[in-house]
Amino acid sequence: MSEGGSWLHVRAAGMDLVLSTLDLREVVAMVPISPLPGRPPGIQGVVVYQGEFLPVLAWEDLPGCPLSKVPPMAMAVLRPRLAIPLERMIGMIDLSTGAHQEADENDLTVTWTGGRVRMGALDLRVLDPDRLIALLRRFRGER
Amino acid sequence: MDQSLDDVWAEFEDLFGQARQTLATLKEPQPAHVVQASVNSLFRTTHTLKGMAGMLGFPSFSKAAHRMEDIFDLMRKGRLRSTDSLVETLEAGILALESGVAGLRRGRSEPEDYLQSLRRQLGELEALARPAEGASQDLTSLIDLPPEVLKALSEYEHTRVTALLMSGMPIHGVKVCLDFATFDERLRVFSEALGSFGELISTLPWDVPGDREGLAFLLMTACPVLDPAQLPALEGELLGTDLLADPARVPTSLRDEGQAQPVEVPTPEPQAVVAPVASSQAQEVEILRLPAHRVEALEARLMAVGQLRDEASLLLRRTHQAHDDRPMALMGHIEDGLLDVQKSLLQMRMVKVESLFSRIEPMVKSLSRDTGKPVKLTFQGGDLELERSILGKLTEPFLHMVRNAVDHGLETPSERAALGKSETGSLRISAAQRGRNLRFDIRDDGRGFNLERIEIRGLELGLLKAGEVHTPERLHRLTLEPGFSTQDTASQLSGRGVGMDVVRAEIEALGGEVHLSSEARRGSLIRLSLPLSRAVVSCLKVRSAGQGFGIPLGSVVRVQAGRAVCRGGDQVLVLGRSLPLESLQACLGLPEPDGQRAFVVLSQQGAAARSVEVALGVDEIVGRGEVLLRSLPELAHAAGIMGGSLQEEGILWVLDPDAILGLAMDSLMRRVARV
Repeated sequence: MSEGGSWLHVRAAGMDLVLSTLDLREVVAMVPISPLPGRPPGIQGVVVYQGEFLPVLAWEDLPGCPLSKVPPMAMAVLRPRLAIPLERMIGMIDLSTGAHQEADENDLTVTWTGGRVRMGALDLRVLDPDRLIALLRRFRGER
Repeated sequence: MDQSLDDVWAEFEDLFGQARQTLATLKEPQPAHVVQASVNSLFRTTHTLKGMAGMLGFPSFSKAAHRMEDIFDLMRKGRLRSTDSLVETLEAGILALESGVAGLRRGRSEPEDYLQSLRRQLGELEALARPAEGASQDLTSLIDLPPEVLKALSEYEHTRVTALLMSGMPIHGVKVCLDFATFDERLRVFSEALGSFGELISTLPWDVPGDREGLAFLLMTACPVLDPAQLPALEGELLGTDLLADPARVPTSLRDEGQAQPVEVPTPEPQAVVAPVASSQAQEVEILRLPAHRVEALEARLMAVGQLRDEASLLLRRTHQAHDDRPMALMGHIEDGLLDVQKSLLQMRMVKVESLFSRIEPMVKSLSRDTGKPVKLTFQGGDLELERSILGKLTEPFLHMVRNAVDHGLETPSERAALGKSETGSLRISAAQRGRNLRFDIRDDGRGFNLERIEIRGLELGLLKAGEVHTPERLHRLTLEPGFSTQDTASQLSGRGVGMDVVRAEIEALGGEVHLSSEARRGSLIRLSLPLSRAVVSCLKVRSAGQGFGIPLGSVVRVQAGRAVCRGGDQVLVLGRSLPLESLQACLGLPEPDGQRAFVVLSQQGAAARSVEVALGVDEIVGRGEVLLRSLPELAHAAGIMGGSLQEEGILWVLDPDAILGLAMDSLMRRVARV
């Protein structure tokens, strides 16, 4: 997970998440995803991004992710070349005022998040791209 | 290493490439003037290498290049005859310099003598070319020109005149008067024409006739017959032609003296002299060298063209509902045109694998000579293409592995004879496309890896634990670990510079894999698999489960469609043979269809007659076409899918035939197990 920088507050998979802009290439409008036959777990398909195939995360395959009925409207393209479908972009957020908490051991999202930040009534999960990629690789290995 | 040196390294690479190509032409019988032009070119190349190395502060390299330049100088002066063994020595020398440059590029320090392994051969050559006291001949005086003109001839030109006259070649003079404005271009035209008829020895200034303006020259050329009508002269340019020296005037005692002469080739027929020689034409192919940052810019354009084509495809798909055919047809043309542009840009990045093989051959010959081990070297798959950047990075590891195979793998002739093997060792190097990978096999019939010794060494180094069972695969893989060697001392040939751990690191950095296997006394196999990032693939297009798929044509044996409905697990009759059928859906883990009426018979790529064949059931056969294959990123690797191609109707998934065959067999086995 990247330290410092600014943070993007988004809603995805029915949860409030924050993404470090240092881990982000860009956010693009949602385009139709081409489903990958015999897809690996965690990847629902690909989109063409800058002339290359870009894998798109399947939230529902991740531990602790409920199946959201809200259709995604945008995709966050992470630096390690992975697209994350977003239901909504809420805005930039200053995490320095929030209370950072280590992830709860019982929280299933611990395998792909880097803890939580509580800001007033908001309970935000911090997406950790390194953990997420490691998890996807582990999925492949276990297949 | 400093990136600003990219251009310099690229220029080194080009010069070595030219030198290798020119040396290769010397292995074939060539007319004397082609041999001479080749040797001159090699002389210039080594001269340039020497200068570049001096400029960059590599004195040992400069010294070694100078030594090679001297040998080429002796050849062009006719003191050394171009023979197979001489060319082999020179190839080994060029290869040693090339390996040296690769080392410098990696930041290694300079060795004291790049040509150390060739010291004896080069010394012998120099001794051979040294003229005996008082034995040097000069027949320049036979040329019918004033002495003050002859004084302008260089030492090299003197030796060429002498050698050519002694070999029975007449020397002609062509006098031309050229316009001030265009003389350089016109002189080049004359020089090229005379070079194609024979050997242009010298271009000398000549007196301009009193009634003319411009610049006059005498072109001294050696060729059997000179026909003025064949010269490319414009009106008034040609002042005349003369026979300057007749070889009949060479004293009989000096003829056939066996003094150094170019390779013996039949004298060209008079009518043939006007036709440019094919091999010399081949050497005139212009090589355009681009610095690395320009190539990167070009590749960025390639990506942009790809993006444009993707957008065109998307637009085409979105407007598919419209009933006006004109914009559709236009978009179709644009899409086709862009695919062509993509293909040609892609092609620019590709080089044939044989360019890698051409570097191996001279090295193996030289190793064979130095180790006293006769080697039968065979190549297969040289026509396959690989991205230039990958091939460049592959050369050093490849040379290392081949060097190891000859030095450590193959036994001496006496050892082989004692084992009942042929005294000549075999080294087979092949390249083949396997799914999304290009696979290289380096196979020898030598002693194989000494697994016992590897195990002992592994325990000594703490890489293995005592008391555990170590599989042959684990032991083979151990040789790829950093710092691992069973050799107590490095031999003269191997054990220098690159180790197998570096080979592995370099191959893995390219996204590839190294696999080793061997059998005691039977030989070893080193297998390298490298991913193909993009390629244009000829495919059979099919549809199944509502999606488009492409099957590379190289694996398609037969396509059959009929009225009979087939299901996974059925046997189908194909040309009198019963084959198992499995649906593509079952192979890919998609919901199975009720039945299918079409199937494609697949076989393993490049396999022999008794390979596995399976009928792959598909919903629909669409046709065939060439598609631009893009590989899938690692996170999206899916079993049986080699990559995808964006088509009008969406992504066409290109199947990996070998993987699909494996998946089909697994699925069929599961069906049998369920029964």
